[in-house]
Amino acid sequence: MIRLDSVSKSYDGGTTWAVRALDLHVREGELMVLLGESGCGKTTTLKMINRLIEPTSGRIEVDGTDAADRNPVDLRRRIGYVFQRIGLFPHMTVGENVAVVPKLLGWPKPKIDGRVDELLRLVDMAPGEFRVRMPRNLSGGQQQRIGVARALAARSNIMLMDEPFGALDPLTRASLQDEYRRLHGRLGLTTVMVTHDMTEALLMADRIACMRDGQIVQVGSPHDLMTRPKDDFVRGLMQTPKEHADRLESIFQKQEPHD
Amino acid sequence: MSSEVAQRATECLGNLPDYLGQHVQISALALAIGIAVSLPLAILGVRSRTLRWPTLTAASVIQTIPSMALLALFFPVLVGLSHVTQWALGVSISALGFLPTIIALTLYSMLPILRNTVTGITGVDPAMTEAARGLGMTSMQVLTRVELPLALPVIIAGVRTATVWVVGIATLSAPIGQTSLGTYIFSGLHMENWIAVLFGCVFAAALALVLDQLIGLMQSGVSGRRSGRVAAAGIGLAVVIGGGAILPAFQGILFAPPEGQARNEKPRAGEAKAERTYVIGSKTFAEQYILAAAIRDQLADHGLKARLREGLGSAVVFRALASGEIDCYVDYSGTIWVNQMKRETIPGRRAVLEGMTWWLAREHGIRCLGPLGFENAYALAMQRKRADDLGVRSIADLAEPSPNLHIGGSYEFFGRPEWTRLRDAYYLNFAQRRQFQATFMYKAVATGEVDVIAAFTSDGRIAAYDLVTLEDPKGVIPPYDAVLLLGRRGADDVALARALHPLVGAIPVETMRQANYAVMRDTDTKTADQAGAWLRREIGVAPGKNP
Repeated sequence: MIRLDSVSKSYDGGTTWAVRALDLHVREGELMVLLGESGCGKTTTLKMINRLIEPTSGRIEVDGTDAADRNPVDLRRRIGYVFQRIGLFPHMTVGENVAVVPKLLGWPKPKIDGRVDELLRLVDMAPGEFRVRMPRNLSGGQQQRIGVARALAARSNIMLMDEPFGALDPLTRASLQDEYRRLHGRLGLTTVMVTHDMTEALLMADRIACMRDGQIVQVGSPHDLMTRPKDDFVRGLMQTPKEHADRLESIFQKQEPHD
Repeated sequence: MSSEVAQRATECLGNLPDYLGQHVQISALALAIGIAVSLPLAILGVRSRTLRWPTLTAASVIQTIPSMALLALFFPVLVGLSHVTQWALGVSISALGFLPTIIALTLYSMLPILRNTVTGITGVDPAMTEAARGLGMTSMQVLTRVELPLALPVIIAGVRTATVWVVGIATLSAPIGQTSLGTYIFSGLHMENWIAVLFGCVFAAALALVLDQLIGLMQSGVSGRRSGRVAAAGIGLAVVIGGGAILPAFQGILFAPPEGQARNEKPRAGEAKAERTYVIGSKTFAEQYILAAAIRDQLADHGLKARLREGLGSAVVFRALASGEIDCYVDYSGTIWVNQMKRETIPGRRAVLEGMTWWLAREHGIRCLGPLGFENAYALAMQRKRADDLGVRSIADLAEPSPNLHIGGSYEFFGRPEWTRLRDAYYLNFAQRRQFQATFMYKAVATGEVDVIAAFTSDGRIAAYDLVTLEDPKGVIPPYDAVLLLGRRGADDVALARALHPLVGAIPVETMRQANYAVMRDTDTKTADQAGAWLRREIGVAPGKNP
């Protein structure tokens, strides 16, 4: 579905590399997480898929065609994108935000209206109540639901998500993670998601690509990475959520006698 | 006194449709062009850093040019351009009034709009533009659907600033011949008609305030999606601008003074089959307004149509005559001799007149119809008592006391060559020199704020304030015979010359002084029209009408 072939990106003419000779294959229907610390090149990699950033070298294939051969604007309209800072347009209503891409694609108005309501219901927001609200009157969680609905609007089956739930409080984050995972399965999406949150990666991913210094260190299912980490870096990454879980468990056990 | 105030206010009100209407027109047009030019320029500036700096710097530099100077600067430029179009296309463009005003006001309106648009767009959260690009907007769509709407409040704030500036600065267009609310202010200032000055200020301020509020309402309506507000503001703006466009047509109908004394065109007796309308110019002081009114009435009595272009700067009015913008005005021989001909020696009254007449015809195709009969020269004047105390009778007596004396003059005087010559010839070295508008200059010498002033010999206030004029034994000050000048188009116009001939040599200086004083004095003040009519009756050129 999405194939990156020896893709590199340098912002300074080759002195330093944000992404270096990266190979990655995302299969149809898969939820692939790019995991790594800040500055490891995961966001650059994501943005090269819809050509928000042009690769310095290498080849990117989307849906069987070379992305470089496609009109970047057209390419982006076919690929859903959920932004780290949500990025709803404050001068547009919720409904208008969701309708942005269908409008760009020139859909007839009745079709757009129907699609907006359908999407609002899909992300559990009552259309009658929310369609005409302004984004600033929504909570963070509600805003990112709209962000997801907007990304889905043009029926694209490929979704790119850049730390989509990072700005939300933990409870909201957990419920949105669950909901997105369900949507992903139900709509048959192919998703590439960037995060530095190990727990999020483990809970949501079909496969995880661990990145360091612009390169992929290991790709595999959460189980693979947990049980057969390739090196200390991956082991360290996987260790963090496990340690959290262990510490939480010990706290609960100590507290049990008092209950 | 209060009935006089009421009378002046009624007169002012009578001109309101024309003045206010034209003020709205020039302001609205300049702003519309300013917005139309600045917005694309600012957008280019946002996209390209190499363009941004020169654009904003140029706009800032324009802003630092004093408004008055900027308005005046376009006159010579347009005169030059007019020669070019005349030569290339056979069409001449008017270098006075409308065109230079619109250009200058447009330039003034640009800086706040440019700067706020650049600031507004560059201030848009990068997350917004990235989201817009990520969803698949073209860079044009990013601009029109995201950047401009989000920058709109800042852009509109710039438009509001520009509006207030333009409405204010538009008042300064009066001296280059554009009618506006400034016409009240300038003619009021020159004629000591404070009611008129106040009238102009109040209406200009009110207009600026109303437009500012309407645009503000429009903005809050747009960003708050309150269609009621947008509609109300839109209707308000349409009423103001549309009203401005049609108001001048109601001149003489709305607020018309009771006796039908409409200013520019009086009902004409008999032979009104004039083919063209002559344009009569005047400079910025009372005598010029009075003479322009008298000339207009004189032409009217001979069945010729005329209109006035009043309150033009001294240099502007001459060039306007030379370029055919105006057909006729009164100048002074010494002014032409020194300012235009750049002569240094003063050969005597007759020689100056003859030399000037010959030079004007040869160099500019201007016809000097002849002297009106009086001089309006510069003369150093003092309070009679002060002069007696110091024992001063002639300018030569000033050499010794001058280091302890203050001298006042018009803005023009100290820049003229005769001041330099006067100073050198009589060894004058004043402690301080101050520049005044004529009205304030006479008041300053009367109150003792200055000791000596460069007065005008035909000014009624010399007698009214009991001033003495000092003799010029060395003959340094050139003669200033008032002369009637006809421009290129009027030079061979027999009808025009015949109509104006009765004025040549007909106005004694005493009559001119009385007429001047009638419009400047504080009680029983006359308008320039009334004084002009009085002058014509006094010298016997008006047909037998009774006062």
